[in-house]
Amino acid sequence: MTTTTARTATPTTPTMVPGGSALARAFGRTMFTKTLYDNRRIFAVWAIATGLLAMMYASFYPQISADAMANVPEAMRGFGFDDTGTAAGYLQGAVFGLLVPLLVTFYGAATGARMISADEDTGYLDLLLAHPISRTRLLLHRYAALAAGALLIAAATLAAVLAVRNSANLDTITVGNFAAQAVNLALLGLLFGAVATSIGAATGTSRATAFGLTAGLGVLSYALHGFAPQIGADWLRYLTPFHYYIGGEPLRHGLQVADAALLAAATIALIAAGAWRLNRRDLGR
Amino acid sequence: MTTPIELTELTKMYGTRRGLAGLTLTVEPGEVFGYLGPNGAGKSTTIRLLLDLIRPTSGTARVLGLHPRTDAVQLHRRIGYLAGDFVVDGRQKAGECLAFLASLRGGVPATRIIDLADRLDLDLNARVKSLSKGNRQKVGLVQAFMHQPELLILDEPTSGLDPLVQQTFLDMVTEAKAGGQTVFMSSHIMSEVEAVADRVAIIREGRLVALDTVADLRARSFLHVRITFAEPARAEEFIALPGVTDVRVDGNTLGCRVDGSPDALVKAAARHTITGLHADSQDLEELFHTYYAAA
Repeated sequence: MTTTTARTATPTTPTMVPGGSALARAFGRTMFTKTLYDNRRIFAVWAIATGLLAMMYASFYPQISADAMANVPEAMRGFGFDDTGTAAGYLQGAVFGLLVPLLVTFYGAATGARMISADEDTGYLDLLLAHPISRTRLLLHRYAALAAGALLIAAATLAAVLAVRNSANLDTITVGNFAAQAVNLALLGLLFGAVATSIGAATGTSRATAFGLTAGLGVLSYALHGFAPQIGADWLRYLTPFHYYIGGEPLRHGLQVADAALLAAATIALIAAGAWRLNRRDLGR
Repeated sequence: MTTPIELTELTKMYGTRRGLAGLTLTVEPGEVFGYLGPNGAGKSTTIRLLLDLIRPTSGTARVLGLHPRTDAVQLHRRIGYLAGDFVVDGRQKAGECLAFLASLRGGVPATRIIDLADRLDLDLNARVKSLSKGNRQKVGLVQAFMHQPELLILDEPTSGLDPLVQQTFLDMVTEAKAGGQTVFMSSHIMSEVEAVADRVAIIREGRLVALDTVADLRARSFLHVRITFAEPARAEEFIALPGVTDVRVDGNTLGCRVDGSPDALVKAAARHTITGLHADSQDLEELFHTYYAAA
């Protein structure tokens, strides 16, 4: 009874810190949600842009198949432009073979470079890590936000191609197979995101270097995947992530579990290596 | 009570460059400890070692009885840290930033943040990048003090603050000490720490060159004396006096430096008619510079 009196006697106090919207406050609870909130516009722009481009190119299919570009240059065979006669063949060339995977690669490189490197460049990482959060935990929260962005892009791309599936005569491909391709797309983004994040985490290099190295690696491995058949070294394709992303032709055959698992395993290994090194090095200024 | 900071032969090499060379010192519970040295002396290196942002090449550091690396998370909960160049993501509002940092600490009462911001006259609704350097520093002070940590580690805390806010800061330090908190603050200006520090360490090129209470440092300082006589002064009368050095004569005026008791000088001067007397105690700033300059 006395406690009740004591409680009512307590003056009401403001419970919120001014500055920032209710949404900002709600997202400011953890490192993961805060990173998502801080990147909300960037992630949205990536998802919308990738989705719209995928939708635009997918809807070109009826014209392209009518023109029946049978004479694709020999050099372009490896890039998947050799079969524009079927919906799956066309999409594996222009949309899921070139445009979307390269965009997602650049998303991974650009976002990954900002997860550790950018804040280490400015010195903000010092402040965050002087708080009760371990280096591994910070890395995982940051990477989880990047992963959420990659999933968003893959989901937007899937929604975009499904939206034109009937109107663009793409209904020979099942929804499940589109989803399988979207899963691989997300995994590709996760992989290159892990490369850039881990380069920053492991070496403390600048944001520009982490981005440049990852983007360069992405473009190089894309070219290698495309040209390998021409130089008679098909086996080289197995060294590039693009093989595991599209080599199993998910649009025709559905999810290739082994390929997807390999991409995921490489991602986990990269993040683990990045965390291992991050825990053992000095933070730069 | 655990010892807040205990450094033993702490050494940090950056390649071949020495950041810190065998530093040994202890900070006692509840004291305000001034950590002085010129830029590049190793102040920030020491502080970043305490927070496990960098690791020592050799030697050990114990903070609140714990190991900076293996107990980092537990330790950081009990420490408030202000970096020498406090940086946060500029796109967020000051209040949003502080609420987030408070969440990383598992929450801080909103009233505590609001009170500190009011006291420092910080607008929590302003976007961080729109704030001046001084106002940004206030955000840094609020985040360091807000959870009332056992140990405050402040790297050049007053940089960019105007004199009025500097005074508020000194009051906050005094209150923290009264509340049993320990404060370790670095500076390259003596007067900044002189007012609040119990003890002062001076480091130079990664080594400890002096460690004493402010009172003892002050007692160690000497007097600058200037005496004006009715007739021309004669240097030879004063040169041999104990504790008197640096004798200069300019017409009727005698200038000199006195270490220890001025008794002999006063008695010698009293044989003449004196028309003016001026004595300045050397300020700590000057003493501090002598430590800087010493090879």
